Amino acid sequence: MATEWQPDFEELMDEHQSMVFSLAMRMTGDRGLAEEIAQDVFLELDRHLRNIGSPQHARFWLRRVTMSRSADALRRRRVRGIPLWVRIEENHAVQPEEQSSALGVRMERLLRTLPETQRAALVLRYQEDLTPEEIAAALGAPLATVKSHLQRGLKLLRAKAARDLKEYVRGA
Amino acid sequence: MEPEEIDDFEQQLRLVLEQVPAPPGLKRRVIERRDAQRTARRRRVMWWRRLALTTAVICMLAGGWFWHGIQQRRNGQEARRQVILALRITSRALTQMQLQLAAHNQSVLNRKQVEQE
Repeated sequence: MATEWQPDFEELMDEHQSMVFSLAMRMTGDRGLAEEIAQDVFLELDRHLRNIGSPQHARFWLRRVTMSRSADALRRRRVRGIPLWVRIEENHAVQPEEQSSALGVRMERLLRTLPETQRAALVLRYQEDLTPEEIAAALGAPLATVKSHLQRGLKLLRAKAARDLKEYVRGA
Repeated sequence: MEPEEIDDFEQQLRLVLEQVPAPPGLKRRVIERRDAQRTARRRRVMWWRRLALTTAVICMLAGGWFWHGIQQRRNGQEARRQVILALRITSRALTQMQLQLAAHNQSVLNRKQVEQE
């Protein structure tokens, strides 16, 4: 007999904190803001834990809420024009450049120059390996729109990479 | 664009966009914030409970005082009704007595007149 799944907040955090933080960081391009978003997302998860029915539901919920919170944060930053405050610890201030490869850093920089909707679709496609249907569900957007964002985003990113990353990108 | 080029670029993109590790201490900070929020929520609930309890006690006292006032008014009205009834009975008895005295006086007067004649 199958036992009913009981969500455990700390296990869910252990399992998904990298995913949530990575999504927020790639959407905002700001580690501090990404951490704040990740904290808010997990606090919201804690409040909605009783509505989460399965591990898949938890993953879907976290992706959806992270993307939505990231979009909100970007909108707020555009409106206010100031970065949001976040407590920064010494080990928190490590720059991604110190950890990633040179290609990765430059590719991420190019990704940040894409329009927000295209960036969201590409991040979910290539970081989370989601299908267009799953991306549409995560973003709450029509499938055709998501496919269009994926296609245009990839084309634009490839064009930028061909211009800026000639030495790395084969065939670009 | 050739399909193999697209695959190659997408493959590179997939490698570049691997999940990055969350900052050390993220879980601890979230749990600290969650505990602080829970404590604040518990305090708020306690505060509302106390307020509700105090309001209920005040309402009960006010209700009791109001009911006591109504009871006193009813008792006062009942006492007034009984006093009026007693006065009516007394008045009727006095009237009756007065009539009897008048009749008695009249009969004495009549008797004296008969004796004088």
